[in-house]
Order: sequence, then structure tokens, then C-alpha cells
Amino acid sequence: MAKEKKQSIFGRLFGNRNKNVDIMVEEQIQSPGRMMLNNFLHNPLGMTGLIVFLCILLFVVVGPYILPIDLGDTDNTQQNVPPIQSMLSVPKALDGNIAAISPGPTFGAGCDKDGNVYMWGYTKITDTIDLKEIPEKVRQAHIVDIAAGYDHMVALDDANKLYIWGNKRLGQDRIPSQVTNSKAKIIQLEAGYQFSGVVLDNGEAYFWGNGNMCDVDVKPEYQGHIKKIAISTYNFCLLLDNGSVVYGGIQKDNAFTRIPAALSSGVVDIAATGETMAGVTEDGKIYVWGNGIHGEEKVPESESRPVELYGGRYHYTALMDNGDVFSWGDDSHQQATVPDSVNGAAIDTVYAGFYQNYAVDVNGKVHTWGLKGHAMGTDNMGRDIMTRIVNGGKVTMTVGAVSVIIALIIGVVMGGIAGYFGGKADMLIMRISEIVGGLPFLPFALLLSAIIGTRISVELRMYLIMVVLGVLSWTGICRLIRAQILAEREKEFVLAAQAMGVREGSIIFKHILPNVLSILLVEATLSFATCMLTESSLSYLGFGISPPTPTWGNMLTGANNSIVIQQYWWRWVFPAAIFGICTICINLIGDAIRDAVDPKSLGR
Amino acid sequence: MTKYVLKRIGYLILVFFIVSFLMYLLYNLIPEDPARNELEPLKKSLKPEVYERMYQDLREQMGLNDSIIIRYGRWIGLAPEKESGRLNGLLEGNLGKSSYFKKTVVEVVKGPIGNTVFINIFATILALGITIPLGIYCAVHKNGKFDNAVQVLTIIGYSIPIYIIALVFIWVFAVILRWFPIGGMGTPGAEYTGMRAFWDKLYYISLPLIVMTFGSLGGMTRYVRSSMIDALSMDHIKTARAKGVKEKVVIYSHAWRNALLPVITLIIGWFLSIFSGSVIIENTFSLNGMGKLYISALNNHDYVLTLGIQMFYTVVSLVGALIIDLSYGLVDPRVRIDK
Repeated sequence: MAKEKKQSIFGRLFGNRNKNVDIMVEEQIQSPGRMMLNNFLHNPLGMTGLIVFLCILLFVVVGPYILPIDLGDTDNTQQNVPPIQSMLSVPKALDGNIAAISPGPTFGAGCDKDGNVYMWGYTKITDTIDLKEIPEKVRQAHIVDIAAGYDHMVALDDANKLYIWGNKRLGQDRIPSQVTNSKAKIIQLEAGYQFSGVVLDNGEAYFWGNGNMCDVDVKPEYQGHIKKIAISTYNFCLLLDNGSVVYGGIQKDNAFTRIPAALSSGVVDIAATGETMAGVTEDGKIYVWGNGIHGEEKVPESESRPVELYGGRYHYTALMDNGDVFSWGDDSHQQATVPDSVNGAAIDTVYAGFYQNYAVDVNGKVHTWGLKGHAMGTDNMGRDIMTRIVNGGKVTMTVGAVSVIIALIIGVVMGGIAGYFGGKADMLIMRISEIVGGLPFLPFALLLSAIIGTRISVELRMYLIMVVLGVLSWTGICRLIRAQILAEREKEFVLAAQAMGVREGSIIFKHILPNVLSILLVEATLSFATCMLTESSLSYLGFGISPPTPTWGNMLTGANNSIVIQQYWWRWVFPAAIFGICTICINLIGDAIRDAVDPKSLGR
Repeated sequence: MTKYVLKRIGYLILVFFIVSFLMYLLYNLIPEDPARNELEPLKKSLKPEVYERMYQDLREQMGLNDSIIIRYGRWIGLAPEKESGRLNGLLEGNLGKSSYFKKTVVEVVKGPIGNTVFINIFATILALGITIPLGIYCAVHKNGKFDNAVQVLTIIGYSIPIYIIALVFIWVFAVILRWFPIGGMGTPGAEYTGMRAFWDKLYYISLPLIVMTFGSLGGMTRYVRSSMIDALSMDHIKTARAKGVKEKVVIYSHAWRNALLPVITLIIGWFLSIFSGSVIIENTFSLNGMGKLYISALNNHDYVLTLGIQMFYTVVSLVGALIIDLSYGLVDPRVRIDK
């Protein structure tokens, strides 16, 4: 044989296969299975489809372990965030020159020692409000402190004047006259969900904002003794000058008023997350109270003594007396995983908030950890699209696969019986299959799902969808198998088997069926795509698998309005793209298998 | 031929009754009690015994205590009604009363059915008008550049669910280019009449039409192409060419007539699928058609209306199947269907 040039993978996949073949090679006899495999491997479209499909399959099989989904998880601070990775990107100009940093839900804000304000991350609140549009007055003022709320910004200049921009509709800019008229200097500035608060150097604290949601009034007896405030989503607590922690608002009894007794004296610092509050005492003990459901109350043991506390949305970060930092609580975005580089550097101060942490060392260098951004954005409930795509793909593919298997089993058994026995059985089965096949598919599936589906649990409903799809889509396979078996049963080997006394069931399924296996494979592949399409259509219309369980179909529910299509494009482009690619690949594979099985069909 | 047609029609009627009975059974699985619904407002003002007696009377009066077969007979119009003793069911044109719209199903359905048929007629003309010439062209110029491009495009067309195609088209044509409205059936508030109203309606349904056409291009074109290739590879085509028959005649007369038969089989499936497929299109574009009505009826638990629309879909698919079967003989004289 002549020297055969070894082809590269690329050449094999996409190259020209009409090369001159040695007569010995060409005349070589191949088994049909080998020939099919060869045909398939030499079909560039089919192989591309197979490779891409395997990648997607790997993505949805392995993905859920890397990105596990919490079905109850929604977060109104992360709604409709586009795919960005810049939430922790502190501008270069701030490095070594930081006066203050304040993390917001999807952005960060900071000011340098020259009084300039910087914003990074996703700052668009609504169509018209973008926090990045810093008002001219703020640009000109010498800003010394800054605080980011949920949808508003508060800044303080060196002349003790407050500036507010962003969403002001809920009274976020109604600064009390006690603050504006006071001669006392503002020593602490905080911004919460829809309210803000300041501490003055005469020991008074004032809060303003959405009074309906937030407890904004301070009990008068504490005024004049307040050293520090800590703001949770709607509430706040106070650190008084006698070293005790009190709930500052006028609400009588809530989760935050039950302050641990140990915090009645000797408290050095307080902090709050969205749902909990915490205090640290002189002897380094940390006490957490409130509605901790993300592990905020599980304070890790540590040898060194915490001196300062900072709260994010569901996590705490503590600065130790030796300059180390540790975090605990919700770690869904690695916001409670302190990078190793931080614990080597001598940390001076930490700014934590929402899902972000900024640690500034003594040289002014910023170390960051936490939520950088969402790779594919978030939906209208603040859920990460990527996580939902990965987990939804698993559901969609499982439903597709199981319903195809159901359809295959019914179709093969029915088709086998009809084709082999003929006569009355054939007549009956074909009439049944005509009736089922004649039913308008989508309306009928909708109906079944609506009637039975509303009375059963979400999980059972998923199985119901699989069964409905399987039971409604077996007719095509049945007809195909019947036609094939009608052709095969006249052949000699069946006669031989009958003569040898092989049982009839055994003849159908052991002798005849293997001959139609390859065609079955084609049909199964193509039906798999169809079942996935149908499931997603049902889910898209709201009658398939219901949220919060994600599927590629129900992720697109509600995407058919211009606001979502245009402004929140990431909510439909990513699921639609991956689903489209997946079904295209499956169809390409199916076509390639058909071409491989039946070379005559090539070019059809 | 007549015998065959009669046999087919008889079979169709049988299937219709089986399917409608199954459907009726299914709806009877719904734990809903019309008698209790009727009496619910009075429940507070009545003594429990009186209420119970009235409830039982009403059940008897409504015929809810009768067997399922008799109730089915009443609904379909084969058994006499309890009070009047007349036949008054589906076969007499009475589909019951919608609980949500408080009107008879026929009245509720009148408007949407017209819209759906209007849209689907246009979609059919467009899709057949494009796919058949395209499929023939691709078959004749097999494996050419144009053919290959069409092959790839059609795979995309039939693989991607129609609502994703719709989203992309809305994005391109309605949001970015602003050529078409995003949804609806007419300019809100405008009181057009005559031709003006027709053009306005057409303008509003043009984007859904484009989407439906695009969605059906894939499967149809591939099918026309493959059956045309089969037809072109037959021996009589070689003979015709050898005789020196013009290429046009070879393609359109000799080959196309042979390719038509499998194409017709496809059209049936496709014809049915545009009716049920328009469920998605109508909901995506908020067109006031049967599909949208069906979904809203399901959502409102208006099961009488749902049942009515479901029967409409069933009849469409059964009649469609019959028409296609009969048209075999018209298209291809070799098919002796009366055998």
C-alpha cells in the first residue's frame, strides 16, 4: 500500500473525503455495522453535531454539581442584572488613595482622598435612573464619605453637606432638618434598602427614607448617646456610649429587638446583614441575632480577637486584631471565602456590603472577593440565568429522554405485534394509533396537563408531562416498526426460526427487531428533539413543568414583550440559543445516522 | 370510489364519537360540581337541610345523577334533554355555555375562529407558495451552493421551536427595525372600516405570518426536495430526457406529478400543526384567535369552552385527514383507493 498521509482530526471532520483509494482498500469487505460507523464518522455535519451535543450534554450533566440550584432562592437586589463581571472592579485611580468604599447590590461606589467619586458595576436602576450619572454638584464638591443604598446614593462633603441621587421617589432624599440645621459633624453615613442614616458627633442619629417599609424613627431616650449605627434591610440597631447595643427603632417586638444579654455592656463594634445583626464584645466574642437562615449565626472559632465587624447581605466579615480577616454566612457567590492573599497583607479596614468585600491594606491596596457579576445575567426574580440554564437543561433533557423511552417501548411493542401477527391485532392497533395520532397534539397535551396537572405536586407533574408526551408520540414509531417488520417477516430466516420452533415473541423481538434497530435509532434521535421541543412549548405556555423548577421552555415564559426582548435581552437570548443549538445538533445527528444507515438516502 | 368515500366517512364518524367520548370522560375527571356552583351563593341564607334537599333536587334536575353514557349522549346530542325532551347537544350546534364569558360557546368562538382561519389561510398560501418552488429548485440543482445553504437553513428552521423564532423576529423586525407592531390584531382605538380595516389587520398579522411561514419552511422544503430527488432519479425521467423532452416539461410534468404524493401526506400533518401550532403564535403575538382563547379558557377553568375548542381541533384534524386521503386519488390515478 502506498504511504497514506495521516489525516488530522480537523481533516477527518471537515476535510475532503474523495481522495484516491487503493484498489485493495476499496474492495475490502466491511460489515454493515462498521460501514455505518464509518459513514457516520465521515459525515462532517453529523460529527460536528455530535461533538457540540456531547459538550452541551456534559454541560448539563456536570453543571448542576458545580452550580447547584436552590429552588426557593430569589433576591430582589439582583433583579435583571446584565451579564457583566465588573462589580468588583475598583478603578485604578482609587488604588492607594481610598477615602471610602460602599458596595451596592450590583455596583460599588467609592471616593478618593481628593474628594472625587467613582462608580463601577451595573448602576442602572430604571430606564431613567442611572447612578453613574453623578450630579454636577457632587462632582464639584470635595466628597469625604459615601454610602450606597439599594437604589440611591448618599455622599458627604468636607463642609458637612449631604448629597443624594438615584431613586428619590420613596423619600430617600428627605433629610431631616435636625441633620441639615445641626452644627454637629456627621461621623457615620449608612444607606440601607430604601433608607439612609447618619450619626452626628454630638451622639445623635437620624434616619430617613421609606417609612412604610423601614423603621426610621429613633427612640428619643437614646439620642445624644449614639456612637454607631448598623443597618439591616429595614431596621437598625445602635451602639451607645455605655458600650451596650440597643434596637433603635420604635417597633415593639421583632426579631431584632431580642438582643443577646451579653451585649448589654463592653461592645466594641456592631454590624448588620440583610436579616441579622451582630455585635462583638471587648473579649472578642461575637453574638448574632435576627432571622439568620444563611448560616450567619454560625460564627467560626478563631484564635485571634475580632475587633471590627462588617455585614453583607447574608454574610459577615470580621477584622481581627492581628490584621487577619475572616468571613462566614452565605457563600453562594464566594463572598464568605476570604482569599489567601488577604490574610498575608496587613489589613487596615474592610468595606463589606451585599455580596461584595473590599479589604484595604496598610499600603492602600484593595483586595476584593465576592460577587464579580453574573456570567449570563439574572432574571426578574434575581436568579442567576447560568445556574438556571444548567439545571433547566438537565430537566429538559431528562423529560425528553424519558418520554422518548416511553414512546419507544409502546411503539416497538405495538408495532411489533401489529406487523408480525397482522390480521385483527394489526387492524385494532393501527386504528388505535390512528386515533391517537389524529388527536391534535399540542392542544391535547395542554388539556391533559391542565386537568390532571393542577391536582398533583410539582414533582408528580413532571412525571405526568413525561408520560403524556410518551403516550401521545408513539404512533410514528409504531407505524415505522410495523412497516419494517412486514418486510422482514417474509424473509427466510424467520421461516427457519419458525421451523425450529422458536417462540413467536422471541422471533419478533430477538430475530426481527435487531434488523430494524438502526432505523429505530434514527427515529429515536429525531423524536428526542421533538419531545424536547414539545416539552418546552408546553412549559413556555405555562402548562408544562412549572416554576421554580427551571426548564429551557419555562425560562422563556413572559419573554414575549418588548421590554424583555430589548432591555433584558440576556433573559431570553441565552436559553434560546443553547436550546436552539441543542435541537439543531440532535437533528443533525439523526440525519447523519439516517445517511449512514441507508447510503442510498445520501443527498436527499 | 363512492364506496370508499362512504367507508372513510363512516370510519371518520366512528372515530369522532370515540374521541369525543374519551374527551368527555376526561373532562368528567375534573372535580367540578355545576349544581354546587349554582347553589353556592344561596348557601349562607339557607338552612343546611333545605340546602341539601335543593342541592339533591338540582342534581336530579341537571341530570348529574345519570350514568356517564347518558350524560355524554345529552352533551353530544343523541339523548333527549331532561326537561324539554328535545335533542339539544353538540350535533345540534349547542356546545353549552361558557362559565367565564357567560355566553354560549358558539357566540364566544365566533370571532376567534374567523381570525384563526384568516391567519392560517394566509400562512398556508405563503408557505406552499415558497416551499414548493424552493424545494423543486433545490432538488434540480442538487448539492449546489444554493442548495447547501438552503439545507443548513432548513435544519435550523425545523429544529428551533417556533416561539424562539418568534422572539428573534420580534426583536429584529418589531423592536430594532420597528417595521411591524409587536402584537395585537389592529390599531388600538382606530375605527377603520372596509378595506382600511382589512389592511390594518393584515399589517398586524404580517409578523406572525412571517414567523409561521419561516417555521414551516424547514420541514416542508426538505420534504419537497427529497421527494423530488426520488422522482427525478426514476427511469422514466431518463427516458424522457433521452427522447429530448424539454427540461421544464421533465421537471414539472414528469417528475413533479410523482413527487406530489408524498408532499400531500406532509401537507396534512402540517395543516394540522398550523392549527395547533397557532396556539403558540397567537399567545406570543396576543392575537385574538382560537389558540389564545383555548389557553385563556384553560387558565380560567372554563371547561365547557375548552371542550368546545378541543372538539373544533379534533374535527379539523379528522376532516383534514379525510381530505388528504381522498386527494391521493385525484393527484395520482395510480393510487386505487377504492380497492
